[in-house]
Amino acid sequence: MVGSPVLLIAIPLLAAFLVPLLGMLWKELVRIIPGLVLAYLLVLSTSLYLEVLNSGTIVETIAGWSAPFGINLVFSPLTGFLTTIMTFIGLIIWLYSYRFKRNVEFEAAKKYFIFLMLLVAGSVGIVITGDIFNQFVFIEIVGISAYALTAFYTGRNSAEAAFKYLIMGSLSASALLIAIIIIYSQLGTLNMAEISANIHNMSPHYRVIAMIFFVVGIGVEAEIFPLNGWAPDAYTEAPGPVGGAFAGIVVKAGIYAMVRMMFTLFDISGPMQILIVIGMITLIVAETSALRQEKLKRMLAYSSIGQMGLVLIAFGMGTKAGVFAALFLMLNHAIIKPLLFLSGSHLTFNTTDKYIKEITGMAKKMPVVSVLFALGALAISGLPPFSGFWSKLSVLTAAADENMILIITLVLIISVVEIVYYFRVLNRLFFFSYDEKVSVKPHKPSFNSMIAMFILAALILLIGFYPSSVTGFIDLAADDLLNTHDYIDKVLGMIQ
Amino acid sequence: MKKTIVIFILAAFGYFLAITFLAPEFESNRNRNGVKNVYLDKTVSELKTANTVTAIVVNFRGFDTLGEVTVLFLAATALGSILFKKRHHIGERTVMLPASSIVGSGAKLIFPAIILLGAYVFIHGHLTPGGGFQGGTIIATGFLLMLISYRDFSISHNILSVIESLAGILFVVFGLLGFMNGGTFLQNFMGTGVLNDLFSGGVIPIIYILVGFKVAAELTGLIYTILHEKG
Repeated sequence: MVGSPVLLIAIPLLAAFLVPLLGMLWKELVRIIPGLVLAYLLVLSTSLYLEVLNSGTIVETIAGWSAPFGINLVFSPLTGFLTTIMTFIGLIIWLYSYRFKRNVEFEAAKKYFIFLMLLVAGSVGIVITGDIFNQFVFIEIVGISAYALTAFYTGRNSAEAAFKYLIMGSLSASALLIAIIIIYSQLGTLNMAEISANIHNMSPHYRVIAMIFFVVGIGVEAEIFPLNGWAPDAYTEAPGPVGGAFAGIVVKAGIYAMVRMMFTLFDISGPMQILIVIGMITLIVAETSALRQEKLKRMLAYSSIGQMGLVLIAFGMGTKAGVFAALFLMLNHAIIKPLLFLSGSHLTFNTTDKYIKEITGMAKKMPVVSVLFALGALAISGLPPFSGFWSKLSVLTAAADENMILIITLVLIISVVEIVYYFRVLNRLFFFSYDEKVSVKPHKPSFNSMIAMFILAALILLIGFYPSSVTGFIDLAADDLLNTHDYIDKVLGMIQ
Repeated sequence: MKKTIVIFILAAFGYFLAITFLAPEFESNRNRNGVKNVYLDKTVSELKTANTVTAIVVNFRGFDTLGEVTVLFLAATALGSILFKKRHHIGERTVMLPASSIVGSGAKLIFPAIILLGAYVFIHGHLTPGGGFQGGTIIATGFLLMLISYRDFSISHNILSVIESLAGILFVVFGLLGFMNGGTFLQNFMGTGVLNDLFSGGVIPIIYILVGFKVAAELTGLIYTILHEKG
């Protein structure tokens, strides 16, 4: 036994309470401690994941009450896979921002690192918990950290973005609570496995209403179409690395919650029209909006929403190949989008509006960062030698298996749209000459932020050239998600 | 036109909601009893706690409480960080009206009683209605009264943040102690004593007292931050 899943939550919370005290002793500790905690989370989650792959799902009880009476954590091939990605991206974001926030005062830096750490811990909690109310609590933790990080620069625009996010997040949290109340009033339990075992005894009335409230409640974090109005503003106004954290960590947790609800909680099998329709609308609206954006970070935000639409479509197919493609897309998006945000925020360093025209000709001044940005842009639009190609290909093959011609057509058309708007930026970046009046003053990136970006770029190339290095893990995770009966047996098996 | 469509859709949704919730079987058509009987039973037989709500909040679903305490901590920190640049010095407030002498002397008289009531509520959280969240809120109300009555009443922000950090740390440490002694996080690893005694319920009263301290410190800090915000 290498450790226990509960430490993934307990240690960051302990550190979050400890950091203000340690900060009084030595100011540098508020930067170092969160990094050590995130590194520990990555090591713990990797070793637990390897153990799970060898010896099966770990179900951890809390407070000595086994499911369904107490809260339990489920560390399975699926949740382990997502947890490992999230903690890894969390560590990368920390590494990037370690010196990036050097010029900010101590008080602000302390809060930034506490929020970042709890953002990761809360997202991990959403993924590993086996209890719907516990998931609600973690969604609150993630939400509040995210609002605070959005408002980090305390300006007029960031306040507006954070307020928008706050209103949408709070309303959706109420909807989620209503869904939980409906389920508890009917089934008398909050445990996911027990709900899943009994959901078909619930009258269809309540089932449909509860599901609507669930979709609305989780949809805000998962960035599905009518509920994602906060995303472009929040991504634009939040500090650069935070945009990466939103795209790489928070949204993944939201999508997981949505998918867990559909596949496990409501025990739906076969194609899910609702996910496909929501995903298609999200994809079309987001990608066409991205085409029109003048601001770099806003464009990246819309591209991120579009990718999530694609993930939902792939999950909605409900087949093994579809789930595999969706998880592969999530992995790639979690690696590529932070790279785009990190390098993009260096290209538009210290500008207020982050206009695309401000990066004109920057490749001459900052060649390395520009190449990294280009790598991310090519990878996310799915060009062959990079990792994004394989995930997009697997979506297409999964759709072809099911004869879903409409989806194939849509994905191919949207790919062209993606290429258009990313190449528009690359064209300005590489083939225009540097103009003192319009462009930003070049800013030399710090050593650790370069390391963070290089690690992500190396991963993109690695997965691009050797996709088989990750497909095995994704395959197991997809099996795990589809096998609801196994999940119920493992969680509830402990009391029989 | 747009408005009509929106109203129509909302009305349709509302109709379906209404027939769902007004359906006579909402109360009676429960398929199962669920977990409630076990909670009622084990609270008395195993945890020896007189207040079932406390047993559920602190023990059965103690992990959620830890999460909620973190949510409160985050909210307080977030407010502090948003209003950070705008803080006045002590004595300068958004609201500049002085309190009358009746309020001043009355506040002095009633302040210790409020603190005592708050402490009573969270110390007896496992025996009588109430607990850490309620007791902490009562104590913060006492500080609010002092802050609005005396313009120069000040609380050290450092002391508040030390209290809230220590309470949070001890909460997690008690959880981890259960992890080391009993095998699972937040497990009740101490002897539970006799039902209805002050010292009963194992770690439940200890954790609730910590929650009380944390909530009191955080809400007081929140009120203090907001009162000293620049208009």
